[in-house]
Amino acid sequence: MTDKRNDPTSLTGAYALNALSAEERAAVEAGLTESESLRHEVTELADTAVLLGRAVAPVTPPPALKANIMDMIASTPQLPPLQDDTTGETDATASVTPIAPPRPASPSAAAPTPAERKAQARWFTKPAIALASVAAVLGLIIGGGVLVNTMGESQQNNQAADQLAAINAASDSQRAVSEIEGGGTATLVWSGELASAAMIVDGLPALPDDKVYELWFIGEETGARPAGTFTVSDDGRTLRVLDGEMHAGDAVGVTVEPRGGSETPTTEPIVAITSA
Amino acid sequence: MLKLVTRETDDRQDFESDAPVTQDQLLARVAQGDQAAFAALYDQIAPRVLGLVRRLLRDHAQSEEVTQEIFLEIWQTATRYDSTKGGASTWIMTMAHRRAVDRVRASQSSRDRDTKIGIRDYDAAYDNVAETVQTRVEHERVEKAMLRLTELQRQAVSLAYYGGYSHSEVATLLSVPIGTVKTRLRDGMIRLRDELGVAS
Repeated sequence: MTDKRNDPTSLTGAYALNALSAEERAAVEAGLTESESLRHEVTELADTAVLLGRAVAPVTPPPALKANIMDMIASTPQLPPLQDDTTGETDATASVTPIAPPRPASPSAAAPTPAERKAQARWFTKPAIALASVAAVLGLIIGGGVLVNTMGESQQNNQAADQLAAINAASDSQRAVSEIEGGGTATLVWSGELASAAMIVDGLPALPDDKVYELWFIGEETGARPAGTFTVSDDGRTLRVLDGEMHAGDAVGVTVEPRGGSETPTTEPIVAITSA
Repeated sequence: MLKLVTRETDDRQDFESDAPVTQDQLLARVAQGDQAAFAALYDQIAPRVLGLVRRLLRDHAQSEEVTQEIFLEIWQTATRYDSTKGGASTWIMTMAHRRAVDRVRASQSSRDRDTKIGIRDYDAAYDNVAETVQTRVEHERVEKAMLRLTELQRQAVSLAYYGGYSHSEVATLLSVPIGTVKTRLRDGMIRLRDELGVAS
């Protein structure tokens, strides 16, 4: 039944060490749903890996790092807690990430004991945290599982997610969060090296059909350069990789424009984020 | 299963024994949006996280960035952390390792990593380390357990965990078939588990 090459029982060590490809990782996680002994071994080896991590000499972070992080969390919403314990295991994988392997029905899963449920919960809810990297980047930045869910459904959005991941992975990647006038938050992620930026908005009101949101690169010398338009879904969230090149020191703004967008802004920006 | 749960509880106490307010308690408060608790949790575990991440990435600036991402993720997902899944420290260190590996794989600089120093002595010395008696003891336990592995097991486990290499990269680095690497990683980890008393 199991592909020999990806036989989960031979992969537990590599799984605990994060040395697997995404495909093999998924094979192991699927296997966890079926085998208690596999679950047991993976749990133990993962705990062993933590001991390897704790054997590394700690390094004191500079105070600025803490200040940065405290600033970031002050403006970053937390994910809503998962629902209801009894159905939590399946909900966790289903509602948070489409990337998680589907949980096959198995006879023993019909009536798990409390202890089993606990042990299962450890692994079944794990994908909520351990998303495949692109989704993780998104989940990390937008602070919500819903977008991750919709992102996975569209190839175009996947492309945007890939681009965002690339920006995020750049060595000079930076991010800034700003409140939007009238509600919501805007997060800009950019890399000077890649001359590229992505905007993630959350809680933005939907516009009438004849209007769109438009992004702008705003440079001191170049003025406002159109960088693409977007609309928001019902929950007010979207990810948009900006069109065109970002120049050093560019600010990024969002205005409301007639459908189709404008060549120059016709309204005041609802948000502007400086990258300098 | 009951045994397993018991063992996890024991481990957690070990992990948190150097903390006046336990990390589990702090994380529970973080889940309620408590920023002061988050700051306290950060103070307790950030040096370990940064130490581990820097071990994999080596570049200090990148390591700080990834550490920042990890703590942001802790903040965002603390609401979904369930203490029945293992202690806070286990959760955080597991996440830290995975994020460090993600960055190693994603980063262009990782492609340029010097494979000659890929097989590093895992006992490398660093500046601004914040070693305590507690971490020294943990280090020595692991060091001792590592010596019980065969050389190939030890190299494979070290490259994978401390180098962030995938099993196929490990196979290339050690010039052995990938199937052998998988086996060595598993055997090595099982040996370590037994030596470190993680087994129930």
